[in-house]
Amino acid sequence: MSRRTALTAMIAGGLGFAAFGPRGAKQTADGRIVLDYWEKWTGHEARAMQKIVDRFNDSQKRIRVRYLTTAGIDQKALISIAAGDPPDLVGLWNYNVPQYAETGAILPLDELDEKGEVRPERYAQGFRPVLMHPDPYTKKNRQWAVVNTGGVLALYYNKGLLREAGLDPERPPRTLEALEEANHKLIKRAGPGTQSALERAGFLHIEPGWWSWIWGYSYGGKLYDAENDRSLAASPENIAGFDWVQRTSEEHGVDATKTFKAGFGNYDSPLNAFLTGKLAMVIQGPWLANVITAHGPKDAQGRPMLDYGVIPMPVIESQLDEKHPVGLIDCDIMVIPKGVKRPEACMEFMAYLQRQENVEAMALAHYKNSPLAVSSKAFLENHPNRGIRTFDSIAQSDRTYMVPRTRAWPQIKDELDAGLQRIWSLERPAKDELAMIQKRSQDYLDTVEAQRTQRGYGRGSNPTRGPAT
Amino acid sequence: MSARTAQLKRDFAGWLWVSPWVIGFLAFLFGPMLVSLYYSFTDYPLLEPPIWTGLDNYRRMLSDETFRAVLWRTAKFAFIFIPLATIISLSIAGLLNGKVKAGGFFQAAVFIPTLVPMAGSAMIWLWMLNGEYGLINMSISRAFGWAGLTGANWLSDSKWAMPSIVMISLWSVGQMVIVYLAALKEVPDEMLEAAALDGMGPIRRFLSVVLPLISPVILFNVVTLMIGALQIFAIPYILSAATPGGDPRSMYFYTMYMYDNGFRYGQMGYASAQAWVQLLITLGLTAMLFIASKRLVHYRA
Repeated sequence: MSRRTALTAMIAGGLGFAAFGPRGAKQTADGRIVLDYWEKWTGHEARAMQKIVDRFNDSQKRIRVRYLTTAGIDQKALISIAAGDPPDLVGLWNYNVPQYAETGAILPLDELDEKGEVRPERYAQGFRPVLMHPDPYTKKNRQWAVVNTGGVLALYYNKGLLREAGLDPERPPRTLEALEEANHKLIKRAGPGTQSALERAGFLHIEPGWWSWIWGYSYGGKLYDAENDRSLAASPENIAGFDWVQRTSEEHGVDATKTFKAGFGNYDSPLNAFLTGKLAMVIQGPWLANVITAHGPKDAQGRPMLDYGVIPMPVIESQLDEKHPVGLIDCDIMVIPKGVKRPEACMEFMAYLQRQENVEAMALAHYKNSPLAVSSKAFLENHPNRGIRTFDSIAQSDRTYMVPRTRAWPQIKDELDAGLQRIWSLERPAKDELAMIQKRSQDYLDTVEAQRTQRGYGRGSNPTRGPAT
Repeated sequence: MSARTAQLKRDFAGWLWVSPWVIGFLAFLFGPMLVSLYYSFTDYPLLEPPIWTGLDNYRRMLSDETFRAVLWRTAKFAFIFIPLATIISLSIAGLLNGKVKAGGFFQAAVFIPTLVPMAGSAMIWLWMLNGEYGLINMSISRAFGWAGLTGANWLSDSKWAMPSIVMISLWSVGQMVIVYLAALKEVPDEMLEAAALDGMGPIRRFLSVVLPLISPVILFNVVTLMIGALQIFAIPYILSAATPGGDPRSMYFYTMYMYDNGFRYGQMGYASAQAWVQLLITLGLTAMLFIASKRLVHYRA
């Protein structure tokens, strides 16, 4: 073969590969529509969703869904949508809704949901606001997402450790005052003084540290005034919440806690501090039961032995209302990106996923509570988390809260994460730190508002263009 | 066929063979660079079209406290890391250049850490530096426990975060050691012997003969180190994410902030401007090094 022939063959091969090479088929050989569904889950969580996807694929002959586990899903979804080649369905987090909804990156579901199968009324009261966000142009509240799996935060307590500290495990601390008192009794040290090594902590705001910003909510505060687009980080309630953080830090000792905490194992491991008894009380979602089942101590029959209870997040005495508990909603959502070819097929799959039996199957597999307004008796009875009724009652409460609904939240959260560490380390009084965070947060909010205004849908602008559809 | 036609054919064939690289360079490096230059003058939230804002992104850097903090932290890291890495790698290369038993083994041992993926390396160091069970603290406690030294909370204590990152980065100087070793082996024995005959001791020989002879290699390594130090990302990114409870800002560097602006905060225009400032800083410092090298670096004829 001559050099010229070889070269020509190579070029032709390359061009042919580029033009006709393998790519994601959008239709199967038997004519079914192919939908790509990107999701963040791996392991047993992914397997649970794959089962439902398989059931859907077998249940009809029109659509075939391909489930793809995707790492760094929020960033990849962002880039694929920006590039105009998005997947058909994406599983994101609840805090993504404002950014995606405002920029028209996802489709509103209220128009697609002709049969009313995923309407907000189907969901527990606490979850409904998560699905909604104002349309950037009409300013009307619209539904943009469905809840894939729901989570609510509550306080877990180790009954054995409470008993050992002379506390009544059947009367756990429901107010912050009682929590501080219990905390004092639960702390165990190698010697006297806050410098001596910790052997057991009561409650630590920095463990696991995933929700650095929630402490003011127990005092009736909030972080963001959505109506006026103002940061409320330095409100008296938040200052009180973070003063409580500093009191707890002083009680445990800053350096002693840092050394003690460095010995905590990974969350999803037998060295989880709550499982090893190093930490008597912790704020967590229902999914902690999965870690307890997988890694906690077991009896001869292999049943989990850890004796724990679950109560709503304690609040100050004046905020206590046991019929209307306070708690953070933290959930996974599913959206349909802008630019998909067959939105009605996406909606059909979404509606299938949101059937009660599928929602509950997913929630059981993920050890989460159901986001629906009504949970079946079998779901509540068979759930592996003994506190499931507590989680369910929080989800139904009208006093739940969620991540502040602003596009600037990732920046604000990073400030709060860093701020919590400075407050916990007693580097600065909570009031001063929160004042600085409020100022910076407002700058971020103002930057986002400037972006909105430049594009014609700022707060003061009249809706002149159609909705994001 | 005329000579001119033959030359054209040869040129065409040459361009054809290098075309994969040229196309790749234009499509995946030069093109995106030009696009990012344009974005740096826009407000670009990624999900919406960019809007021209002139020099706003560059002006914003002047009043951005976080930008100043990450710039200073990155400069501090480079300032500590580059001299330390140079001294340590040159010293190791010097040791390996002598008549060492099992020299090949030691060369491999020094080089192997550079083959370990960053993520794996970060996870190993995460446990080595653990405040309660870490090997470093246990060793310090055993060796100096009598004096009351028990180690530190390396990753969760903000004042120890920088030394930890420097220490971890120094672990993978193997590649530089190999380059220095090759350079040291190139130093002619006769020059060293002549210097010895002239009465130079080992230190003087090193400073007056060896160092000037390997100075081009030092320049190369320092420039490479500087570029790497200004772009530090993976190790602090993994460590800060895997150390809940530590101060996340104590391990926050320039490239991490740029990444956050682009992909987490929806400020791709601002991130692009930061990328260009980083490039200009790197180019400026490299130019300064090359200017300084005119007096300090000796090239053999």
